[in-house]
Amino acid sequence: MQDVGLKPPRSKTIHVAVCGNPNCGKTTIFNAITGLRQKVANYPGVTVEKTTGQFQLKDDPNIYTLIDIPGSYSLSAFSPDEYVAVQALLGELDKSAAPDLIVNIIDVTNIDRALYLLFQVMQIGKPVVVGLNMMDLADKRGLTIDIPRLEKELGGVPVIPLIGSRGKGIEELKAAIALQASVPHVPHRDFYHPLIGLTADKMIHQMQNGHVTRAEYLRVLFDINGPAEKAFIKEHGEKGKILLDDGRKSLIGEFGSLTIAETQSLTQRAAQVTEKSVHARRSTSRSRSEKIDKYLLHPVLGPIVLMLIMGFIFQSIFSWAEPIMNGIDSLFGALAGWVGSSMAEGPLQSLLVDGIIGGVGSVLIFLPQIIILFLFIAFLEDSGYMPRVAFLVDRAFSWCGLSGKSFIPLLSSFACAVPGIMATRVIEDRKLRIITILVAPLMTCSARLPVYAIMIAAFIPYTILLGFLNSHGVVLGMLYLLGLIVAVLVSLILKRTVLKTQRGTFMMEMPSYKVPTLQSILVRVFNRAKSFVLRAGTVILAITILIWALSYYPRAGDASTDYQSRIASIESTTSQQVAMIDAEISRLALSPEQQEASLFAGARFALVESPDELAAVRDELYLLRPDQLAAVELSHFRRTVELASLEQIATLENDRAGAHLRNSYLGRMGRTVEPLFAPLGWDWKITMATLASFPAREVIIATLGTIYNLGSGVDEGSSSLVQKMRDAKWEDGAKAGLPVFSPAVALSIMVFFALCCQCGATVVTIKQETGAWRYAIGVFIYMTVLAYLAAMLVYQLFSRIGW
Amino acid sequence: MTYLNKLNPGQRAKVVGYRHDSPIARRLTELGLIPGRTVTYLRNAPLQDPLEIQVGPSCLSLRHAEASLVAVEVEEPTSL
Ligand SMILES: Nc1nc2c(ncn2[C@@H]2O[C@H](COP(=O)(O)OP(=O)(O)OP(=O)(O)O)[C@@H](O)[C@H]2O)c(=O)[nH]1
Ligand SMILES: [Mg+2]
Repeated sequence: MQDVGLKPPRSKTIHVAVCGNPNCGKTTIFNAITGLRQKVANYPGVTVEKTTGQFQLKDDPNIYTLIDIPGSYSLSAFSPDEYVAVQALLGELDKSAAPDLIVNIIDVTNIDRALYLLFQVMQIGKPVVVGLNMMDLADKRGLTIDIPRLEKELGGVPVIPLIGSRGKGIEELKAAIALQASVPHVPHRDFYHPLIGLTADKMIHQMQNGHVTRAEYLRVLFDINGPAEKAFIKEHGEKGKILLDDGRKSLIGEFGSLTIAETQSLTQRAAQVTEKSVHARRSTSRSRSEKIDKYLLHPVLGPIVLMLIMGFIFQSIFSWAEPIMNGIDSLFGALAGWVGSSMAEGPLQSLLVDGIIGGVGSVLIFLPQIIILFLFIAFLEDSGYMPRVAFLVDRAFSWCGLSGKSFIPLLSSFACAVPGIMATRVIEDRKLRIITILVAPLMTCSARLPVYAIMIAAFIPYTILLGFLNSHGVVLGMLYLLGLIVAVLVSLILKRTVLKTQRGTFMMEMPSYKVPTLQSILVRVFNRAKSFVLRAGTVILAITILIWALSYYPRAGDASTDYQSRIASIESTTSQQVAMIDAEISRLALSPEQQEASLFAGARFALVESPDELAAVRDELYLLRPDQLAAVELSHFRRTVELASLEQIATLENDRAGAHLRNSYLGRMGRTVEPLFAPLGWDWKITMATLASFPAREVIIATLGTIYNLGSGVDEGSSSLVQKMRDAKWEDGAKAGLPVFSPAVALSIMVFFALCCQCGATVVTIKQETGAWRYAIGVFIYMTVLAYLAAMLVYQLFSRIGW
Repeated sequence: MTYLNKLNPGQRAKVVGYRHDSPIARRLTELGLIPGRTVTYLRNAPLQDPLEIQVGPSCLSLRHAEASLVAVEVEEPTSL
């Protein structure tokens, strides 16, 4: 390379970690800076895994990699999510991505407590920028912050006021990050009581070992049984251990306990800093939240309100979604009709109409339900109600082996078990956490919702109960309840047998209530809708194409040519008859006008619906001449002949399609395994659709859509899947001719789906989060067995009572 | 002197210390239950446990077992 006088500055990647107390707005600010859309909600513990994003500044060659981490109250981790946070901050998660700079976000309404973490973070020795978030609330709470004073008290650390939710102060924050990142040397900062510093110095002196810094000694001192202590002892052996014990003993002698030694120095410093830089005009009040909690946490009203909210959600999912769904449904029907008629018959047309539109399309119809569910969930999550529910249910949950903190992960599992299982990281106790993970897949995830919705819409009679509850919503609610009840039973059993638990702890902050921002709700709903559509377009599409191919091929066969010739002979007989009738009509030698008048009258006669109309038409016919009347009769006869032949052909086509399907690879497999699922009341089509949906639940709908499209000869793409399922009949056997689906069969399918672990992603996540395959496999086995038995029980029970 | 879990809803008290040193005690300190601060006992959950307190600007919910670690001095006579 040529050496030019002015070399362009080399671009560096600068890692910036965003830390702070739980729920202080870290992710909001992370999103504002990077333009990403990570989940934001109003409860502690939303983020449980680190995520990265990037930003760049004008006239700055560097690339800044921002790392959003879980919230934490201090560097002594108490739960797995905090452990992730601390590891990320200390650069122990991934040495190459160790933060070069730390942005500490502080909720201005709780500045005093936040300083505790800030002091610890400053002691790590990296450049620090403070983002003072929620400045909009400072005014409302009567707080005035003297920012220059605060910066001074913090030894020159820049403090940037922010309103994360409105994107205010973000540019200033970026500039401050860039400026601090270029600072070559960070002064050592130490907020401990002088005696603690002296103790550390004494240890350094005795060690005579240059490469351990004072900051590291301080951390080791307070990290009882923690990773820092272990690493230290491993490195320095017995001598290090003795030294450490001596140091700790002298501190205990001085302060009473190590905890007090550390916390007291930091909390006292925090109080001093707050006193000098924050001016409270009136005592900080949370009066509004307190008033709401009087009702929502009331011993009697609280649980009632909770149940009303849940009930309202299930009711709305059906009553709000129905009209939109019908719209989408007929849209897909029209699309299928159009594609079907504008393409030549053949595999490609079938793949498009039967596989993709009939299969994947019938899954997409349920988008409105997903959107409505998530509108509610996002609203609840951003309002601050979630931790209240945890508070209400903690006692009951801990009785059955869970904890109040299990509530939010379990509720997240209503969306999808994968983030739900991740969210269990907020649970401190390992066994409680594992039990929560093992039952989370029993929660009704949104992939089950379409399955329930279609079965309920097709086979559960719609009635109004008690004057305001629709039966569809009630059944849906009961299915959600079923998952919950089974989860309770399973965790009770686990608690008593393999995972004997103590009660664990429950220490949680209750955030103030907030009117959810439209933006955060829309983002959540949009993200979910997007992933639903993506899922339909990827996993479900792939499986559906496979299923289509398995049920379309093999094509050739004697049966096929046999049907072909029978259809052809019907067609030729019909055309002969029609020709004869036409000859008769022309023999009448009517003028074109007369012929038209008689045809018109004949058509009207065929369409008569009421006695009045009949009288009118009869009067019209009286006006006709006898030869005209003959023409009317003849054309009527021709219509009958044509219709009869069409019907015969349709039956033959249907039979042919049915024979094809039965003879297809899928059909042969299905009929082999059919007996296995006969006790559940299923035919081979349901059986295969269910087996195909083990990787992803929605596949059952896509598969049924494809199978029923292929199984019907005439192009019925325009009649809905619900209708086709209602029309399905047993082809042979003892039940031949009877409808395949009855309410009992629909219930057995739904119960099977409620309890079965049909989700590849869940199994993998369980392995990841527990670190052991045995839990993942265990979940898969217990759920599948349970699902089979329960579905059998339900079918046997309900079919006996004639459902 | 008494313990936080022994208070009645509505009562206020001053934190004086912890029964013994433990990770839970440390966490409670970090959450703001610092000796010298005033706490208000807000309410019990419907099934008694957990309970909710307010300390400084934040409301915390903890179980009776955890609250029993916190030694307090009642500030005013029972208001109930
Ligand atoms: N009033 C107000 N609310 C804010 C502001 N910034 C964030 N919020 C809200 O605060 C809540 C918490 O925001 P998050 O970004 O999820 O907080 P977090 O720090 O990432 O939380 P965890 O991941 O749980 O630790 C959300 O409801 C936000 O909408 C702000 O400047 N003002
Ligand atoms: Mg977050």
